[in-house]
Amino acid sequence: MSSIITREEVEKIARLSNIELSETEIISAQKHLGAVLSYAARVQDIAKDVDVAITKNSNIERDDVVIKTDPQTILAQAPEREGDFFVVPVIIENN
Amino acid sequence: MSIRPFITIRELEEKLAKKEITREEILEFYLKRFEAFDETIGSALEVFDKESILEKTNQNGTELFGIPGLIKDNICQQDRIASCASKILENFVATYDATAIARLKEAGALLIGRANMDEFAMGSSTETSAFKKTHNPWDVSRVPGGSSGGSIAAVAAGLVPWALGSETGGSVNQPSALCGVVGLKPTYGLVSRYGLIAYGSSLDQIGIAARTVYDNARVLSVIAGKDNKDASMQQVGKKDYTQNLTGTLPKNLRIGVVTNALHAEGIDPEIVHAIQQAIKLFENNGATIKPLALPSLDYAAATYFIVSRAEAASNLARFDGVRYGLRNKKAQTLGKMYSETRHDGFGDEVRMRILVGNYVLSAGHAGQFYNNAKKVQRLIRHEFMRAFADVDVLVMPVHPAPAFKFGAFDDNKLQLDLQDYFTCAMNLAGITSLSLPCGASKEGLPIGFQIVGPALSEELLYQVGHAYQQETDWHTRTPAGY
Repeated sequence: MSSIITREEVEKIARLSNIELSETEIISAQKHLGAVLSYAARVQDIAKDVDVAITKNSNIERDDVVIKTDPQTILAQAPEREGDFFVVPVIIENN
Repeated sequence: MSIRPFITIRELEEKLAKKEITREEILEFYLKRFEAFDETIGSALEVFDKESILEKTNQNGTELFGIPGLIKDNICQQDRIASCASKILENFVATYDATAIARLKEAGALLIGRANMDEFAMGSSTETSAFKKTHNPWDVSRVPGGSSGGSIAAVAAGLVPWALGSETGGSVNQPSALCGVVGLKPTYGLVSRYGLIAYGSSLDQIGIAARTVYDNARVLSVIAGKDNKDASMQQVGKKDYTQNLTGTLPKNLRIGVVTNALHAEGIDPEIVHAIQQAIKLFENNGATIKPLALPSLDYAAATYFIVSRAEAASNLARFDGVRYGLRNKKAQTLGKMYSETRHDGFGDEVRMRILVGNYVLSAGHAGQFYNNAKKVQRLIRHEFMRAFADVDVLVMPVHPAPAFKFGAFDDNKLQLDLQDYFTCAMNLAGITSLSLPCGASKEGLPIGFQIVGPALSEELLYQVGHAYQQETDWHTRTPAGY
């Protein structure tokens, strides 16, 4: 079955998304993405004829006032911490 | 004390004002209903204890004082878990109140618990929750719709008189229709998104479910209006949305009937019939009915798939196991920790939507998908604006068929996604829509329709909806056994 998305593309997108996928999950993702993207591709059919100008939105800005939050309430939720720091696994591997 | 099940907010407030009941008695009544029925319905992920509910709200509030409501679990309530029905946030405790929650507490409302939902609001049946199923009170073998299924099922079973949900592509109005209650998708920017955990930021709005139009308007009056913490807000002040509920239609009301929606492929004839009855009623009450077509509606679901998934992929990048939430502790390196945590923490549907989102945003595909979708989104908005030059409101279906059975779409997820067909255009256009019960199927399941209006026309929608409810009794029907 030819699909709009290849297995290699699924693996690449999963890597970009930082999501580990098992073999069976890759196969089901290829099928699911294929179905959704094939359907979504219909936007091309009319997009070329769209002649509606972009409306300009502007953000509403507010005064930059510091709202104090106790860092401990946030640190308390750390999966792993040391004092006032979040602990993460090694970033650069030693070969 | 006398409280009957399915009592409205309006009646409860009258009883409170006359000192016939106290807020403690009201709360006990509803906590008992959760105890009695929520094992069957599964609407709540957590029901809080009586003391903390009473303590965390204004003791001398005004509007909604002493009236209990259930909050979808993607809206932050300080010191309570906000899990989004996801394993990745299973034990995450909100460190602040969402603006809507702060306003409800200030008003004295009783926030009774956390509602089940599709994981991160991604789904149309509440089946993607990592924790439990929510059942439709009208037939427990069927889904309540989604993604705000817990909030809406609780209102439908009379476990609370109102609830908050959230809307990205129909997540309040579709379940409201499937469960026979009144749902509101407010105009983008009317209710602050501060403290609403993001799915598709340019589409997300907190929405409301209640048993009547009046009750729904009562809740909006508390939560709506500008907030400096959300830069995308309309500059609209506080308003009493019940003020305009005269019980009659506005003079010279022009209603547009969206013909291509009413006769969409695959729509159940029972739904069409029920909506035609509603249209007839409006006509008999002096409204002018104009049939019209919105051709771009046929592209709304495709556009919504692309825009919502793209924004979801970006928003959900923050869940990485570093600062809060789940972490895979076996992973030896940072990269592995990210990817294993995100695999373990997100369910299938969420993972798929992130993958779709990153695909449509990636170099080489953004032109074909994302950029084209943003163009079609402009066309959809433009078509609505053009329609509103000729008519005041639009009438159209909310759902193609009555509530479906659990697992009905397991083999065809695309068909499940297409449940958004009638609703997601409102989110893409940033406009507002009110969903109302208007009939029942042969099997006794609720049927709904929606009244759609331009940005900030909530008062008009409520007026029209309230007038409709003065002449019909669909909203007074309740499922048996509760």
